Amino acid sequence: MKKILVIEDDDSIRDELVELLENANYKALTLNDFKHSLDEILKISPDLILLDINIPYMNGEMLLKELREISSIPVIMVTSRNTEVDEVLSISYGADDYITKPYNPTILLLRINNIFKRLEHNSDVVTYKDLTVNIKKSIILKDDKEILLTKNEMIIFSYLLANKNRIVTRDELMTDLWNNSEYINDNALTVNISRLRSKLKEIGYEDIIETRKGVGYILL
Amino acid sequence: MKLEEYLKDKLYIIILFFISYLLILLMLLAFSVDVSLIIAISIVIFCLLISIIMVDYLRKREFYNNLVSNTKNLDQSYLVLETITKPSFYEGVLLCSVLYDIDKSMCENVNKYREQMNNFKEYIEMWIHEVKIPLATLTLMSHNNKDNFDEKILTQIKRIDDYVEQVLYYVRGENASVDYLIKEVDLNKIIGEVLLRNKDIILRSNIEIIVENLDVKVLTDSKWLEFILNQIISNSIKYKKDRKGAYIKIFAKDDGDKILLTIEDNGIGINEADLPRVFDKSFTGYNGRVRNKSTGMGLFIAKSLSLKLGHKISIDSKVNKYTRVTIIFSKDNYYSVIKD
Repeated sequence: MKKILVIEDDDSIRDELVELLENANYKALTLNDFKHSLDEILKISPDLILLDINIPYMNGEMLLKELREISSIPVIMVTSRNTEVDEVLSISYGADDYITKPYNPTILLLRINNIFKRLEHNSDVVTYKDLTVNIKKSIILKDDKEILLTKNEMIIFSYLLANKNRIVTRDELMTDLWNNSEYINDNALTVNISRLRSKLKEIGYEDIIETRKGVGYILL
Repeated sequence: MKLEEYLKDKLYIIILFFISYLLILLMLLAFSVDVSLIIAISIVIFCLLISIIMVDYLRKREFYNNLVSNTKNLDQSYLVLETITKPSFYEGVLLCSVLYDIDKSMCENVNKYREQMNNFKEYIEMWIHEVKIPLATLTLMSHNNKDNFDEKILTQIKRIDDYVEQVLYYVRGENASVDYLIKEVDLNKIIGEVLLRNKDIILRSNIEIIVENLDVKVLTDSKWLEFILNQIISNSIKYKKDRKGAYIKIFAKDDGDKILLTIEDNGIGINEADLPRVFDKSFTGYNGRVRNKSTGMGLFIAKSLSLKLGHKISIDSKVNKYTRVTIIFSKDNYYSVIKD
């Protein structure tokens, strides 16, 4: 399980963030001693850090700068300061991403997921059971049989794949599609899913995407 | 400085002079002085009068003429003291020193208000950052407790956030200080952020989104542009037609030395009479009054931010047909030269 460290001094938002991350199958840790932030971070050695700019004792940007001198742990700046200057500064100090409050929780999870995907190198090709899924080429291979997915179908399938064995809501799928500049509506999502199902059926995988009524879908 | 007016002003000296001259004349006649001597004395006296008045007039004329015309021509007329040479006569020196004192006290007064403005602006910015924390917490809470949370709550949170942003950008747009940063920005990315932000309401309102040709880079401040586009797209959503087939179409066009970004909808449109005033402060128009409670601030702020960024924003509409907002970004040749 991936460890994510939340550096945030507002208790209520910190608790909610921890809950969000735990629900998404991450191990969420928090920082309590802001005086020795840097040492604490190194002791915990998380896989990713969510860092607020306004933290006590040391500005988040300065902390990031110091951290980057000794470590390359991915950092997402999560802040209510939504100016271009802050963003440019954070990125130049080595932040991997920059999100402003209030953010859409699904998008935050997507961005976290994207960073982990980027770190695992050959993420363009994934295997599922005896299928080889080439996300970039939008192709699923089984033995020597090849099926071609449309861009939307591949976005849906790879999201389900990345969240295997977990119920994925329609809203999550929609957010991921919109995040990839595919601004489709509810009907189109339903159509895409049924087309994806029939394509999977062609290669003998019927019913691997189950509908959970009123909740969403799950890839078995 | 007009000679005629000046002479009128000096009339008392001339009158006193004539009275003295008459007295002298009477005395000379009483002592039965020779006529030619009287004429000689008269000439001397009149020459004296004319030269006294003329020398005084010429000394003052240059100073006052400069003062009057410079005050008229200057953009900021309070700076006139800096443009004129120090006068050589006492009254002028006195006037200058008084003007200087007035200027100084005025500056202090203006500075006091400027400082108050800045303090208020800083406070507003700080307050907005603070209020975003509970907003973020509420959003997370609703996500974490989906079963007990109505989606309507999220809609209301988004409304609060939109209003809060409006205040923030009003303060930023009205202020003289520069707190934006121009860099090359991908239109696709910004449009994506704005659409994602409005995703739920767009889906609920059954509006189709069509994007075309957005793989374009423009020079702007991405946060400011995001706000501007959010105002325009929010309006398109707010004033959609209540029937099927509503769409918002967003497309960019490269036009040589500039890039045109157009946001088009097939909503209820804007009255021809209202059209020229939609960017005015607090203007709500027919749509704002009938359809929705409108503050009339969104487009006003969008326009003032556009002006600061150097973008042109224009609107075109036909009632019940379409509304088309176009933002024109100029390409900076200097910038592209530097970059190469």
